[in-house]
Amino acid sequence: MTHRVVVTGMGVIAPIGRSVEEFRDALFAGRSGIGPITVFNPAALPTRIAAEVKWDGEVMRDRKVTFAHAAADQAMADATRNGTHPTGAGGLSLGLGLELFSMDDLAAKRRGAPMPDGARERLLYLQTPSDLCVPLLARRFELREPPATHVSACAAGTDAIGSAFRMIASGRRRWMMAGGADSMINPLGVAGFCSIGATSTANEDPPRASRPFDRKRSGFVLGEGAGVLILERLDDARERGAEMYAEISGYGASFDAHGISEPHPEGRGAVQAMSRALAEAKVDPAEIDCINAHGTATPKNDPVETLAIKRLLGPRAHMVPVCATKSMIGHLIAAAGAVETIAAIVGMRASIAHPTINLDHPDPACDLDYVPHRARPHAQRAVLSNSFAFGGQNASIVLKRVDA
Amino acid sequence: MTLATVRDQVVVTGVGAVCGDCDPTPFVKARKLRKFMGRQDDLAVVAAGRALQSASLTMSLGERCGLYLAVGYIPFEGADIDQLLTASLDGDAFSMTRFAANAFGAINPLLTFRVLPNMPAFHVSLNFDVQGPYTVSYPGAGQVYAVLEEGRAALASSMVDVALVGAVADQQNALVEHHFSRLTPPIESARLVNASAFLVIERTSDARARDAVSRAQLADCRVEYTPVDPFDPAKPYECLARGGVCVRDGRELGPASLPFAIAGTERARLTHELRTRDGFTASSAWELA
Repeated sequence: MTHRVVVTGMGVIAPIGRSVEEFRDALFAGRSGIGPITVFNPAALPTRIAAEVKWDGEVMRDRKVTFAHAAADQAMADATRNGTHPTGAGGLSLGLGLELFSMDDLAAKRRGAPMPDGARERLLYLQTPSDLCVPLLARRFELREPPATHVSACAAGTDAIGSAFRMIASGRRRWMMAGGADSMINPLGVAGFCSIGATSTANEDPPRASRPFDRKRSGFVLGEGAGVLILERLDDARERGAEMYAEISGYGASFDAHGISEPHPEGRGAVQAMSRALAEAKVDPAEIDCINAHGTATPKNDPVETLAIKRLLGPRAHMVPVCATKSMIGHLIAAAGAVETIAAIVGMRASIAHPTINLDHPDPACDLDYVPHRARPHAQRAVLSNSFAFGGQNASIVLKRVDA
Repeated sequence: MTLATVRDQVVVTGVGAVCGDCDPTPFVKARKLRKFMGRQDDLAVVAAGRALQSASLTMSLGERCGLYLAVGYIPFEGADIDQLLTASLDGDAFSMTRFAANAFGAINPLLTFRVLPNMPAFHVSLNFDVQGPYTVSYPGAGQVYAVLEEGRAALASSMVDVALVGAVADQQNALVEHHFSRLTPPIESARLVNASAFLVIERTSDARARDAVSRAQLADCRVEYTPVDPFDPAKPYECLARGGVCVRDGRELGPASLPFAIAGTERARLTHELRTRDGFTASSAWELA
């Protein structure tokens, strides 16, 4: 790799905060963003809870488009607040979730309602293209390099950031807007996850429903939101006097090539992804100070991720804090990796390991230091952030303090 | 952005393509997961399998093989949509209460897996033991150039020894047909085809070392992007992709257009060009053995 890559702007729309500052404070306070579903009536679906973004303003029917815009606005404002702009042509790398499909429009179509007239209305009718926010963001920020849309499900946000990192590091791009956006809190989205038994049905106590690494975990809680980062060459950022929040120094991706919804039992793919990220970063496993876990709270993920971390770090695994952001914000699917990267960066900068809340009943198969209940002071110079997808796609990135 | 203006240091050693109905059974290693495969998965597995056979790479590929895949718009069959809707109607309006009570129970759990855009990548990785890095991109014809760039970069940096670069588009279904029907001008459903195609790309030196047959080489590649307003009705929908003998009859192959053209041509030189409504202008020139 030719160039060092740094983060100079961050924006986040999450269930526990609509700015980086709000998000960070709620994260360190261990606040849950999970409650009853309000954006539609879940009726008698088995899962009736989610981590919704509390949004006061106008929102598009496909909420992730609104969230992506808002997070991108924040990130770009952050990156340019000293009055300078990232150097050269920019690109876009975005992890996106599934298309929104409107059952109401479908019923109207069966009633014989015609296709709407306007181009905008037609493009939003029945199904909103998942990639809609790509041209919208590219236009808004004049991003003239060819964009990439990542759809590796729960790993997409991390893949988008990792891919952007590589493009800059290898000299193929000068700077990138990268991240993820998702909202599957809609009838088909929630029903789809329910039908495969992936989501928690602990509807009676929403803030306590997401329980990564806890013995009584019962599946993930669906979340929504967006995380967007501005990445650029360290030399460019230094020259224009931009604040550098972290260095991205390695990215690793792998396939489990094993099961459709269960990870490889020995964590093979997870180990490969983490090892590749460390190798690219030229960081020894002994140098990793904290891990932002995928930590979904599904019965299968958490013990395998634990095993994979132990295989990676050896006996030292028990001394490294492993934080599960999803305990507070639920699973943001394609946005998860991006928002959790921001969680890892704010933790590293504040020297705080954020808590994994609701970890009340230790699971013998999950025996690492997950920072239960309360945040803790913890100096960090190098951090790993993991995202592992249904379908066996695994992605990890290594973040370092810029002065490291 | 110009990806390659001189002869590339990588070579295509395998090509595979499929169009329309196909049977992936000969390539399916994990029979118990066959039931999870939808049409886009079938297409991708068959095309990838043919490409690997064409490259004489029939062993497990493992960690040194990466997968770079562009996937077309999410498919959903009309019958599945109708079943969901019928079970959810109260009179002629959608009822969430009826959806939860009736339609939810009628959803085939396998349906979720069959439509997800990352599932073709899963089935290819599983059946050919691909454990290396990946890019799974979506949904327009231009994205195949994005994954081609990623595959070539992975080879150039020695991250992988084999890059399986391809695309899949399941387009003959109600949801995708709906999408193309609302564009300006609309794309008729008869022009949409189901297709997948893959290229096996290796470093030239590696291909020579194993006496692999060179099937094509990238001579030139240019990709430009102009951000467009997706809501602008005045923006003409130029074409999804053109170029190559297989796409000249007006059929639309979505992101599969480029590898399909390479797999299908018998010319010595192929130029593939596309200009998409989402802002991509790309062309690539290929010298074929």
